[in-house]
Amino acid sequence: MSQGIKNTQEEILEVIQVENLRKKYGAIKAVAGISFSVKKGEIFGFLGPNGAGKTTTINILCTLARPTAGVAYINDYNVTSHPDQVRNSIGLVFQEITLDNHLTAEENLFFHAMLYGVSRKEFTQRKIELLKLCELWERRKAKIENFSSGMKRRLEIARALINQPKILFLDEPTIGLDPQTRKKVWDYIFTVRKKKDITIFLTTQYLNEAESCDRVAIIDQGKIIALDTPDNLKKMIGGDIITMKTEDNEKAETEFKQKFPEYSIKRLGKELKIEVDQGDEFLPILVKSLPSKIISMELRRPTLEDVFLELTGRQIRENNNGQLEEETPAFDLSTLFSFFTTPKKEKNNKNTKND
Amino acid sequence: MTKLSGIYVLWYREILIYLRNSVKFFTSIFLPLLFLVFFGTGLKTIFPLVSLPYDFAEFFFPGILALSITTMALSSTMSIVWDREFGFLKEILVSPVPRSYIALGKILGAASTALIEGALLLLATPYLGINFSLKIFFEGLAIIFLIAYGMATLGIFLTARLKKTESFTFILQLIIAPMVFLSGAFFPINNSPHWMINLSKYNPLTYGINSLRWVILSHTLPASTISQLTTNGFIPSLSIFILFTIIITILSLQLFKRLI
Repeated sequence: MSQGIKNTQEEILEVIQVENLRKKYGAIKAVAGISFSVKKGEIFGFLGPNGAGKTTTINILCTLARPTAGVAYINDYNVTSHPDQVRNSIGLVFQEITLDNHLTAEENLFFHAMLYGVSRKEFTQRKIELLKLCELWERRKAKIENFSSGMKRRLEIARALINQPKILFLDEPTIGLDPQTRKKVWDYIFTVRKKKDITIFLTTQYLNEAESCDRVAIIDQGKIIALDTPDNLKKMIGGDIITMKTEDNEKAETEFKQKFPEYSIKRLGKELKIEVDQGDEFLPILVKSLPSKIISMELRRPTLEDVFLELTGRQIRENNNGQLEEETPAFDLSTLFSFFTTPKKEKNNKNTKND
Repeated sequence: MTKLSGIYVLWYREILIYLRNSVKFFTSIFLPLLFLVFFGTGLKTIFPLVSLPYDFAEFFFPGILALSITTMALSSTMSIVWDREFGFLKEILVSPVPRSYIALGKILGAASTALIEGALLLLATPYLGINFSLKIFFEGLAIIFLIAYGMATLGIFLTARLKKTESFTFILQLIIAPMVFLSGAFFPINNSPHWMINLSKYNPLTYGINSLRWVILSHTLPASTISQLTTNGFIPSLSIFILFTIIITILSLQLFKRLI
């Protein structure tokens, strides 16, 4: 462990190692002591709400911010003492678009190659491969000003791959994209992983995206509160989840507790949520044994949303007031109109929306 | 190798952006000529009343030349504010290229675009009644590059830490306007009141313009006349300006190293 470089001879199995990492901004603890490691070749997801410390962690790992305490190794280089080697082994895609609008798709790749010291000969080979991979070969001579946001994102990922990094960091790669484009970007990420021998570290606040990762760390308020494969995380909850509506939820809840003390039941809004081992077998028993009139029933596998809810008592896109955050588009016309409406009216609108 | 290709690519980008933007390119050449023709002709009508040992165009041209390359160099490096705004700066800063090389690439790129502009403008010299030779052309280019380099570095120094894009235009005007007015580009600073002469002594651009006048007018006017138009002789002016570029280079690179 002496000064940064360790066991360079052996093949590195854990390409990211983080021990007790902390970052304070003034009195605010953005990252409050996290430890984890990422294995070679895996897609590792950082799942958490806005402001959980995801971007701060990525910034530290990519040498853009210095940790207040703790150590982090990327490809066996210490991020604080060997930033240049770290930068050479990573590809980074920021949350916001960082392409050069003045240049064409091809030139953007060329500039990146030059910044990372890739020779022209190698660049020409990789360029063809990567432009075809991100399906922008036909548009390579076009200025990226006219690209859609999905195309820009794919080009950015391709650009990050030009210097053949060992680890690809993606900070919220699909934020602000529509579902269809989001899917396409994900397909692309999978193709990249398949074709390149690469480790992918990404942050996301979309639960369905976290499900596609090999392993997921759930981060909340600067701390990792769970880390495992999506399947194992979901097993924490139990086998299956049954949600049901009855005519009298309160009565049904007490009845359930009497008859099945081994299972947990929670009231969630107008529904009852039950966690059971074998949902398909339990469902008929439940129907027979509950005297209350059932309006509707649903059996489903647990999602990461359930895990997050279980661990934090909040939903992931919920803000501190317990209200669900709405997905706001990058530019919302309604904000313009809000200048003209009185604040009182706005409040009323919000309340009705959340109801 | 990585490091040098980093300088090269940032330099190349500046040139590419300049040459590709045809509007920017043409205005950069056309505007100084416009200035020269209209402003120069207009001012000339006042001057015949006073008999001067030099033609107004002879005085005015080096000043306009310096003004154009100063604006060009400053606005090129100060475009770093836009690179920040559009995120591209982050992409550069996270690369393994050392910060000081990034700054140098940007500065050299800006100086080179100003050099292209300056070279094209210098070709107008013979049509203004200024005696011209290949020697003057190349010496002029050297001084132009030096001025552009110094001003480009000043631009980096002023904007490296600037986070707000709105502040950019203010700085540009707040710096450029007084610097140009106090440099003797539009009127010989020697005939100005004392306080102005004193202020101009602290203006690096004064010495840049002095040097440029000495070089460009060397075949046209006698040394005694040129010294009326400049505040210092050629060697002192050039030395002071070189000293300025060295100091500002060190300051900017230090500042840029600590970026982010």
